[in-house]
Amino acid sequence: MKIAYYPGCSSQGSSLDYELSTQAVLRRLGIHVVPIKDWNCCGSTPAHAVSTELSSALCARNLDLAAKDGAECIITPCPSCLSNLKATTKRLQDPAKRARINELLDNPVAETVPETTSVLQAIVRLTTPETIKSMAKRSLKGLKLVVYYGCLMSRPHALMDFGDPENPMMIEEMLANLGATMLDFPLKTACCGASFGIPNRPMTAKNSGRILELAKNLGADAVVVCCPLCQMNLDLRQDQANQAMHTHFAMPIPYYTQILGLALGAEPDELGFNKLIVPATKVVSHILQGTGGSK
Amino acid sequence: MRIGVFICHCGSNIGGTVDCAQVAKIAEGFPDVVYSTDPMYTCAEPGQAAIEAAIHEHKLDGVVVASCSPRMHEPTFRRTVARAGLNPYMFEMANIREHVSWIGKDVAANTHKAAELVKLAVAKLRQDHALTSQEFPVKRRVLVIGGGVAGIQAALDCADGGIPVVMVEREPTIGGKMAKLDKTFPTVDCSACILGPKMVDVAQHPNITLYANAEIEDISGYVGNFTVTIRKKTTYVDWSKCTGCGTCTEKCPAKKSFDRFNEGVANTTAITIAFPQAIPKKAVIDPKFCRQLTKGKCGVCAKVCPTGAINYEMKDELITEEVGSIVAATGYDLMDWTVYAEYGGGRYPDVITSLQYERLMNASGPTGGHIVRPSDGKEPKSVVFIQCVGSRDPSIGRPYCSGFCCMYTAKQAILTKDHIPDSQSYVFYMDIRSPGKMYDEFTRRAMEEYGTEYIRGRVSQVYPDGKGQMVVMGMDTLLGRPVEIRADLVVLAVGIEASKGAPALAEKLRISYDHYGFFMESHVKLKPVETNTAGVFLAGVCQGAKDIPASVAQGSAAAAKVLTLFAKDTLQSDPQIAKVDIARCVGCGKCIRTCPYGAIKETVVRNAEKAQVIETMCQGCGVCTSTCPQGAVQLSHATDNQILAEVNALCQA
Amino acid sequence: MSGVTSQNTNAEHSELRILGFLCNWCSYGGADTAGVARATQPTDLRIIRVPCSGRVDPLFIAKALFNGADGVLVSGCHPRDCHYSAGNFYARRRLEVLKHFLPILGIDPARFEYTWVSASEGERWKQVVTRFTEQIHALGPAPKFEDSHPLHAMVDMALAPLAPLGTGDPQLLSSVKEAIRKKLPELDCVIGWKEGRDGLHTVPHFIRTEADLEELRIGPFAIHNLATYLPNYKGKKIGILVKGCDAKSVVELLQENLIKREDVFLFALPCQGILDMGRVDQVLGRYQHITSLKTDDKTVTVVADGKEHHFPISQYAPSKCYSCTSRMAQDADMLLGNATQIQGTPQTPPELAMLDAMSLSERMAFWKSAMDRCIRCYACRNSCPMCVCRDYCVSDSRDPHWMSQSDATREKLFFQVIHTLHLAGRCTGCGECQRSCPVGIPILALRQHCARVIRELFSGYEPGTDPKAVPPLLGYQVEEEHIKEREWK
Repeated sequence: MKIAYYPGCSSQGSSLDYELSTQAVLRRLGIHVVPIKDWNCCGSTPAHAVSTELSSALCARNLDLAAKDGAECIITPCPSCLSNLKATTKRLQDPAKRARINELLDNPVAETVPETTSVLQAIVRLTTPETIKSMAKRSLKGLKLVVYYGCLMSRPHALMDFGDPENPMMIEEMLANLGATMLDFPLKTACCGASFGIPNRPMTAKNSGRILELAKNLGADAVVVCCPLCQMNLDLRQDQANQAMHTHFAMPIPYYTQILGLALGAEPDELGFNKLIVPATKVVSHILQGTGGSK
Repeated sequence: MRIGVFICHCGSNIGGTVDCAQVAKIAEGFPDVVYSTDPMYTCAEPGQAAIEAAIHEHKLDGVVVASCSPRMHEPTFRRTVARAGLNPYMFEMANIREHVSWIGKDVAANTHKAAELVKLAVAKLRQDHALTSQEFPVKRRVLVIGGGVAGIQAALDCADGGIPVVMVEREPTIGGKMAKLDKTFPTVDCSACILGPKMVDVAQHPNITLYANAEIEDISGYVGNFTVTIRKKTTYVDWSKCTGCGTCTEKCPAKKSFDRFNEGVANTTAITIAFPQAIPKKAVIDPKFCRQLTKGKCGVCAKVCPTGAINYEMKDELITEEVGSIVAATGYDLMDWTVYAEYGGGRYPDVITSLQYERLMNASGPTGGHIVRPSDGKEPKSVVFIQCVGSRDPSIGRPYCSGFCCMYTAKQAILTKDHIPDSQSYVFYMDIRSPGKMYDEFTRRAMEEYGTEYIRGRVSQVYPDGKGQMVVMGMDTLLGRPVEIRADLVVLAVGIEASKGAPALAEKLRISYDHYGFFMESHVKLKPVETNTAGVFLAGVCQGAKDIPASVAQGSAAAAKVLTLFAKDTLQSDPQIAKVDIARCVGCGKCIRTCPYGAIKETVVRNAEKAQVIETMCQGCGVCTSTCPQGAVQLSHATDNQILAEVNALCQA
Repeated sequence: MSGVTSQNTNAEHSELRILGFLCNWCSYGGADTAGVARATQPTDLRIIRVPCSGRVDPLFIAKALFNGADGVLVSGCHPRDCHYSAGNFYARRRLEVLKHFLPILGIDPARFEYTWVSASEGERWKQVVTRFTEQIHALGPAPKFEDSHPLHAMVDMALAPLAPLGTGDPQLLSSVKEAIRKKLPELDCVIGWKEGRDGLHTVPHFIRTEADLEELRIGPFAIHNLATYLPNYKGKKIGILVKGCDAKSVVELLQENLIKREDVFLFALPCQGILDMGRVDQVLGRYQHITSLKTDDKTVTVVADGKEHHFPISQYAPSKCYSCTSRMAQDADMLLGNATQIQGTPQTPPELAMLDAMSLSERMAFWKSAMDRCIRCYACRNSCPMCVCRDYCVSDSRDPHWMSQSDATREKLFFQVIHTLHLAGRCTGCGECQRSCPVGIPILALRQHCARVIRELFSGYEPGTDPKAVPPLLGYQVEEEHIKEREWK
């Protein structure tokens, strides 16, 4: 199966660690991907607020490139890119919308475009818990983790097809399989406030603070994420949240790919752990030293 | 045949836009019409007297009245012609008011149309035959299905009226949902204190036979003559010996059995008596938890029972009862609220249903009436009530209002304050629906006297904060801003749905039920107790959401219907039913297959299979008549020839 | 009001004849509600009150349309709200079939609509009446059969069979005889075929003794559908020879409890086609004697009055053989040989294809000319295996009095409508009605069209294929998959 890979803009800067760890995990799991050549913006940030058609056209070009390259499916790590690529695929089914999108493009979009899915779901579909467990080099035993999926990964339900939109369990099952203790985290799909990061910073701080506070109260060692924006909000702006809430959280916010990568035997540098603002030193060293032992 | 025609002016209602005299004149030319006139008010006393006089004077053997809708006055005029000695079915009506004079102003067109409708009625009348009702005996016994407050009321009223009652209750005790409640709105009087005596009355009434822990297996027959098969589910306890002393429940070692009566807020023993005031007060073994029945060794209850009532080999038993009428009072169940993932989907122990909360508040409940949190047994100081959990929510397929949750939520908020004076209650609501007597005053008291904070809006999420409290995030739509409340306990006003198994019972009763399993009344406004199956009546929530007073009222109403039905020794059947021409019938059974009422059965006449209409069951729809290819089964008063006569009167190419 | 005088306006001339059948409980009440609300409506409609839409036999509607109605409207309670719980569910299926059936007669289906109006929907009733009246006025007065100009058309029988047709295995007859001989002692009678007035024409053969066996004829001469005789032998043990197509009639009789499976012993014959005797006789014309009759694997060769005629089965089979996909019954008690499996989709039967190509007025004209020939002998009915009413057929009864004694063409065609609608969802398409018609009217086309409607509306339902299936018009589904009755408002 030929799998096209759409990295998205965050991967080139703010979430370089996500990109590195994603590539490392895919490599180790033997999932071969081909990056879409000459990919462009997915249109999810400024464009989709201004013009749905422009945003869709941007996406459509990416879908078209993957289709012309003969890809059977497209995977992307970023939920925002995923959402927009999926929404555009759906819009293309409507002849009127397809026509308007084509007007904005030099070349009309291919009649059928490959299905887009998240890297996370692709891993779950292409492997089995048993194979991942057999490939693991290190255990996550003794780690208490919560997963924060963010608002986009599971919503809208009908489009994203991600199980229970209020209580997704995919990453929990994956990491529990490797020995981690996964805590029930009721805020796993709540809003982190990222979209108000500029216009209403206090709200962002409050929303992020709530998530961090609950994780702390539950006794989590880290909040595992799968969205570059959430990660930036919870990690880079943790300080702002602390100031606003008068707290002193130092909660590491690693990507699930970073934790999974460590378990699969990759080294912390290869996974971009040094890019995290709140250091995950304890978590990393626990995994590196632990190998089956407890805290 | 000698037909008289009466074209009613109905004052100016008809006469204003129809030339009635002209219609009467045209009618004189119709076949068999010997008398035709146009009275001012036919339905008035002089008008009716004129019809009677004309029947005698002109020796009429059939009458056509052209006036208002037959849905209005057909029964009136049938009685009129009957008084003059005619068979009431030798009468036809032409609707020249609702269908002519009121819907158009063109006098010529209206007059022409009215004359044609009279022609139609005359044509039909010429095909009419005298019909007579059959009388059949009635078994003056009633079956009440369900022993909740509605069923209890119906049973007691019938029994007091002298009718023997058979009551069937699915649970081991009667009392229904009301028996679980602590107090009742709007008086805040003790539920057990007002229901308990009625339950005792059921047990002691000489006219009531109670089958608890039993279900309806099968129902056959028809109004006046139903045969009911009842499955007495095994209790593993011989109730004729059990004295309800409770020794077995004290000694039973299986103490972690699910407590159905207490809605699972506490555990109970495998052998239980639901609650101290249970009727009948008899022990029942839950085979899912009993060690003797699951593992084959224990037998403690058998050893300690002073009367030797325990019987582990007991099996279900089928019994048959003959009754003349049935009251369905099967009540409701709470919907499965765990579909709401945003309220935790059942993951958090301190998010409970309102019915569970009733058990926590109830002095005879597992906590002795002390309100405590299920998670840690601590007294909650902050309680959040969320209304409309599974009501008025089309997104989960529950668009209807459950009716009484607004009221009991107010009651629970008041009682919370009574139990824990330093507590604060919050109620998230969509709209407060309190239209009953003293109801709105009651909700205001909850707000004003008891300081309950009412917040208009939905809750988006409930989650534990990790430090022992629940965080309730919602929207205050009046202030237009989000709210967040720390709660010790969250109580969900869970929406109701029809009792489990209601559709299956409806099939056995041959009554209709709606999309949600609630039984359909015969007419939403005018026949709210009757069903479309004669002799079957409805009481309580099985027909639709209603509170205790309304359930009791409908229970009494159902009893009144039963008593009315039984006021005579015999019933008269409607003669407008299907009849089989035995000679024409080839016994193919197509009518039997299509009859919506199972009112046609196969019989053997001179070695040949034939169809036979059960006269008391036939409701007169005529599906059989339009099914039978040889026209062997004909619906009286709407036969093929009668309808063909009408068609031919209008269409003669 | 005495001031009102009748003026002879043109109401009688401008109005069209529109009939409404309204159920007493919902729609009649809805019309009353409209009246109470003084909702002005066109005056054309004449309402006939019936207890339930389920009481409306589609034949009432056909009768009205045949006898001069310009439009017919049926209205009942909304689905699920029927006063009689299920009457409108039956009505929905039957009325939908009628609506699809009408065009084959040349009647515009827009002249008939059915809908649901509750007793509270006065405003909706007004809209229904107004819209339907407008619809009928747009169509204008209904054309009459009597006014049609005769249109004679011949069916084009140049057909390609799905699999080669022929005369079958010549060795088969002796093994069939042997099989029957063995079974005969257990049976009261075995029904087959034997020589009739001459060697070319066969008649049904009722075998009771071994001696009777010698006369048995099969192959292209196994013409009659013998299932027709089964219901007459209730209570007796009857053996019957069936071709693949005949077996469907047997199954349909079982579906309708008209015969008992244990009373019937089925001998299944493989079939490669039979002769269409109508066309054979047309070629032969009048003759005195048949002097020679030979059969090779493809052709029957006849010498009549000294003249030789060749009848290749591939050119002289009835239309059903060209579309045949089941050359042998599968669920028989004894299989007398085997037949090849046939793949392929049956083409539209030629009689039906001819009508499909016509306009509505051409169809009406065609039936006018065709039915003029009808002599009302009812051979079509008597040969039909599903016509179990026999002596009690509504065609000759006074109660119910569906048919007049009038010799009008319209009345003759109305009998065909009765027969077809009574057989809707039951007719297996054996074609006995048309075969037995002495004046050669292609009446099978009506049944074929009706069967097509049934297939479309009820997920490809084929009568006579499953002994346990409920014929579609004797059942219903609360939500019908292929009936979109709500589209008409």
